[in-house]
Amino acid sequence: MPSLTHAEPKLKELGPIVEVHFLIPLALEKKYKEEGKEIPKPVIVKAMIDTGASCCAIQKDIPKKLKLNPVGSHKIHTPSCKDHECYKYFIRMAIPLHQLVYEGVFTAVPLEAQGIDCLIGRDLLSNGILIYIGYANQFTFSLF
Amino acid sequence: MGRKEDLLKKELETYKKHKDELVKESEGKYVLIKGSEIINIFKSEEDAIKMGISKFGNDPFLVKKIERIEHIHNFTSNLIGCDSKCHH
Repeated sequence: MPSLTHAEPKLKELGPIVEVHFLIPLALEKKYKEEGKEIPKPVIVKAMIDTGASCCAIQKDIPKKLKLNPVGSHKIHTPSCKDHECYKYFIRMAIPLHQLVYEGVFTAVPLEAQGIDCLIGRDLLSNGILIYIGYANQFTFSLF
Repeated sequence: MGRKEDLLKKELETYKKHKDELVKESEGKYVLIKGSEIINIFKSEEDAIKMGISKFGNDPFLVKKIERIEHIHNFTSNLIGCDSKCHH
């Protein structure tokens, strides 16, 4: 099972953060290749593993950069708003150094500042393992 | 919803129009809708999306879980701001 273990001296302050690559879904990439269309370059951002998120969220600019259209929409609740309608996108997320790949639904939201452009939520975590070793400033993240 | 820039306006109207019959016959499953047409019903969201990509490529389409009361996703993080619109 592919996994990564990351040591971060400021883990308590920063949280479990990983660098991820966003790409168009494989089925669309195959279609683009057949049609001779240009495949958008991966978008590389920082993601925080967030057990307080029921689903994965991405900065809403990411689908624009990948030139993707939505595959649905749903409502979200956050500390500052209720019943906010957001588009959802089908996207491939990869951490190439560790052979971690996930293809699934990401909700596009306005993530504000702090350099975090993705929240890895419990829908993705339901396919894997997260071990947070606070005293060692280390976490391990695995995906089936 | 219903704004001019809403890419899924027609699909969401189609879902709303057929919601009662969909809930009656297929609650808990996923419906794939393009424009005013219900394409098919699927057991998994991923299968519905993959069929949508296969048929429509990168054109917008709607995959929606069929449920009487819509499940709302929760975020405890204050990194998400709601001053601006999620729909762009």
